[in-house]
Parts: sequence; C-alpha cells; structure tokens
Amino acid sequence: MSIEQVADESRARVHTAGGARRRWVQEVLALTRRWWIELLRERLNLAFSIAQPAIWLVFFGAGVERAIDAEAIGTDDYTGFMLAGIITFTIVGNGVSGAMPLLWDKETGYLDRLMSMPIARSSVIVSRFVFQVAQQTVQILLVVMVALVLGVRLATGVPGLLVILLAAALLTMSVTAAFSALAYAVPQHGTFFAVAGFVSLPLLFMSNAFVPLDVMPAWMEVVARVNPLTYAIDAMRTLALDGWEPRIAVSLAVLTLVGALCLALGTWQFRKQTGDRA
Amino acid sequence: MPHRLTTVADVAVAYAPVMTAVIETSGLRKVFGETVAIEDLDLQVEAGDVFGLLGPNGAGKTTTIRMLTTLLAPTAGTARVCGFDVATRSSEVRRRIGYVMQTVAYRGLLTGRECVEIEAALYHLPRREIPERAEAVLKAVGMLPHADRRWTTYSGGMQKRLDLACGLLHAPEVLVLDEPSLGLDVQSRHNVWEFVHDRRMGGATILLATNYLDEADRLCNKVAIIDHGHIVVQGSPADLKRSVGADVIEVATGEPERLRRAIEAEPWVKNIVGSEQGDLHVYVEDASLGMPAVMRLGLEHGIELGRVTYSQPSLDDVFLLHTGRELREVEMAS
Repeated sequence: MSIEQVADESRARVHTAGGARRRWVQEVLALTRRWWIELLRERLNLAFSIAQPAIWLVFFGAGVERAIDAEAIGTDDYTGFMLAGIITFTIVGNGVSGAMPLLWDKETGYLDRLMSMPIARSSVIVSRFVFQVAQQTVQILLVVMVALVLGVRLATGVPGLLVILLAAALLTMSVTAAFSALAYAVPQHGTFFAVAGFVSLPLLFMSNAFVPLDVMPAWMEVVARVNPLTYAIDAMRTLALDGWEPRIAVSLAVLTLVGALCLALGTWQFRKQTGDRA
Repeated sequence: MPHRLTTVADVAVAYAPVMTAVIETSGLRKVFGETVAIEDLDLQVEAGDVFGLLGPNGAGKTTTIRMLTTLLAPTAGTARVCGFDVATRSSEVRRRIGYVMQTVAYRGLLTGRECVEIEAALYHLPRREIPERAEAVLKAVGMLPHADRRWTTYSGGMQKRLDLACGLLHAPEVLVLDEPSLGLDVQSRHNVWEFVHDRRMGGATILLATNYLDEADRLCNKVAIIDHGHIVVQGSPADLKRSVGADVIEVATGEPERLRRAIEAEPWVKNIVGSEQGDLHVYVEDASLGMPAVMRLGLEHGIELGRVTYSQPSLDDVFLLHTGRELREVEMAS
C-alpha cells in the first residue's frame, strides 16, 4: 500500500472517529506517555526524585525530634507529625521541577509544534498533572513505608492512606497548574526559577508544615489559613495521627475548589501566552 | 439515477475537485508594537501548487506562516486555509495543515518511532492504525532504519527528516514548510528536495518559505517574492525570469556610472541595474552579441573593465530588478 493510500484511509477515519472527549483523553495519554518515557530514561533523576521524601523524613525526623516540644505539636510522634509536611514539601518541589519540560518546550519551539496541532489547550497542563500524580503516588507510598518502619502507625489505616493520596492529588492540581501558568507567563526560564525559588519556601514556612496553627503568632496564623498547603497538611496529618474527623472533608473541599481555580487560571494563561487562539 | 461511470475520463470528471484556493489571504496585516511586519498581503495558493515564499531573513515569511498555521492572530485582513478562517475556525485549519517549523523541534530522550507515534495520537489517529502509519511516514523520509534510535543521536539532517515525517502523519491537505533546508548539508538538502518532489507528485499542496533562490526555482511552480512585509512580485519562476529579459551580463568595473552612460542609449540594452557591490547588471536580448558590444564600448570610452560574465536570468535577478538589491547581498549583510 502506498503512503497516499494509507493517508487517505487514515484521514477518512480521523474525521469520523470518536467524540471530543475521547480525542481529549487520547491527547492527554499521548502527552503523558512522552513525560513518562523521558523520566524512565533519566535513571538518576528517577532514583533521586522517588527516594527524596523518604530520605528527608529519616534525616529530618532523626535530627530535629529531640529539639521539639511535644506539647507544642500536640503529639510525641514527631515523625508522624512531619509526614504530612514532607509529603507537601515534595509536592511543591515536584511542581517546580515539573514545570521544567514546559519551559523547555516553550524555549526550544516544540510548543509551537504542539500548538499547530488540533489539540485542546488544556491537554498539555492536564497531562503534566496526570504524570505528576503518578510519580508522587510512588513517592508517597515509599515515604509512608519508611514511616511505618520508623514506628509511625496510621490512625486510619489503608483507607486513610488512600485519602492521603487523594488530598495529595488535589493539592498537586493547584501546584501544577500554578507553576505551569508561571512557566508560560515568564519571558525566560531565569525568571521562572527566581520566582519559584522565592515563593516555594515561604509557602511552606507560612503553613502548618512544621508548626501547628494554634501555637503560631496570630498574624502568621492568618496567612497560614489562606494557604492551600495548610489544608492538605491538616487533612493528611489528621488521617495519620487522629483518625476520621469531619474537618478532613472541609479540607478536601477547599483543596478541590482551589485546584479548579488554579486549573482555570493555568489554562487561561496558557491560551493567552500561546497567542489568543480558540 | 446517476449514469454509470465507464471510462477513466468519466470518473475523473465526476470526481474533479471544485477549483478553489487552498490558501487565500486578503489584505493580511500583522503589526508588532510599532513595527509593521506584514502589510496588505494577498496570496492565492491553488490545490496542487508548490508555492514558494521567497525573500531575505526578516522579510515576513515566518510571520506569514505563523498566521496561516494559527500560531499568530492577524492584526487585520483575512486568511483562509481550505476554506476556514484562521482566526475563527483555527481548529479546523490545524486539522488540515502539516506544519514543519524552521527550527528542528526538540524531542529529548525519545526514539524516532516514539516521537512519531505520540504525534500520531495527538492528531487523533485511531490507536490500532498508529504503528502502521508511523512506519509509513518514517519510510517515506528514509528514517525507518533509524526509527528505534534516540532522537539525541540523530544528525541535523535526520532530525529534520523526522520533523518532515511528522508533518505527514494526518495526511494534511496542505504542507507548510518553513525554510526546510536551512542549515543542512548538501546531502540533507537533496533529501528535503526529494521529499518535496515526491509529495508534489502525490498531488499535495505545499507552501514553502525559503531564502534559497535555487530551492524556489527548483521546487516551486509559483513564487511570491516578499521583502519588508510586502509582496514585490509573484508568478511562476519561468515567467518571472522571462520578465527580467533574456540574458544578464554582469560587469565589474571601477567606474560603473561612466559605463552606464556609455551603453544605456544602445538599442540592445533593455535595462541596467547597479548592484550594491558596484557591479552593473546589463539586461540584453542575447548575451552572445551583448558581451562583445559592452567590451567594445568600454574600450572606446577608456573604461577599465574587470570581470565580464553572463548568465541566464535567475530569481536573484528578479529580486534585484524589483527591489534594487541582490538577495545574496542581503543575506551576507544580515
């Protein structure tokens, strides 16, 4: 069969194949496959990024535990207390490094190639989100396993672990979308790293990652309460230390709302930066 | 009741496409801040054309292409591709074009086959057909033997061929190639030319931007010469060259103005254009008679002549005639 014959047949079927949603799923999966192949080929990157949160938990937990006032944090299980903070720290770190491929695509021109294709504008960002959630699920399972070895007992067991993964995924939606929007908005990658570096640590310090809300100075508590990280950490920490409580549902709702907002913002910014196209 | 189609000719008539322009722009304009990049551009590319946009760097070729591929919104005017407006029906346009960018698309750690398969999915080809289709396009550009090597190990020419293969995936109605042979070695340039030739034989419509005269001359059946965002002149390469005059005599001399005055009144001189380097281009009906005449007149007036050569008119002469500059010189200067 000649290439032109193959071509004509493909064309005929493309135009009749599937609805808009099926095409969108196909786009997201194809782009996710691209990110996944690249990660698997970068063995060192893969090894370090998967192991990082577990290493942090061990070093941080072992080193800082003695200096912590058990009364201030409300538990004598400091490793269990830190688990939620470490997971969140990982999500923010993933968000920053996860925007890098988008920056490269933009700067090397591959983004133009993508934009000349008949794909939905949201599929690039959503594919990053799907990829990051898959990657960090592995990271979280590993760090939880290490926590179990260190003597932490999850108050809500395996169902609680699943909800921890859900809370992590919801926060990832916000973080991925926000850093993607930043990647598309900046003129060059230098600006991206300057802004991302400036924002990440304060975002963590101004949350309940290391200190519970009720022992914070009042002004800091105000800031922490509008920080979406706080809600993710609170949900995960409650699941790990206390058990099933209604506040978990509230946190998840807040995370969903912020996630949807960031995704809308990210897609809007993406459309804007790729030339006002429908 | 339709009558039965009995002969090949009947079939051809029954299925003959309605002749409409595949690409049509009218009054197209693009302004970046204070700079007018494209001014009042009217293009008409018919089905089956290999249409060349020829001009120096910065003439507005890429800006035009980015508007036609929906990557840039026009400031004013309209552009239609396959009947769809690029501004309002962009996704219909994207479905019908195969765009190969000027710079090679960076594809990281993927193999050639993976790149092609992923893009096939992005064009929504049915999943079961993707492997076969990927092989077909890789074969079409001679990359099948290298399909499972990583992209990073490819030479510049191979990377370009992979981009060309990706441009074919969804069997687009128009191929848009932006400077397809820029920066390639001789062998790879010939590969690109062969590629365009094969597609043309297969009936494809191609819009090709280039600043290589020989490339436009060799590949295109129509050429629009573009400079400073304007179309200077358009037509078939043969017609454009014919409009220049039959032959061109190039004379290098230290006193071009004196030589011009000495010969401009002669009846066999059709036109004289001075190049920026000080050479005179004398357009004559027949160079075999004109060359000795130029030399004789030079001697009579005591004008020292350096080199005297003649050539058939090229697209460079067309460019010189209409812009007063040589494309080669513009390229050197930029």
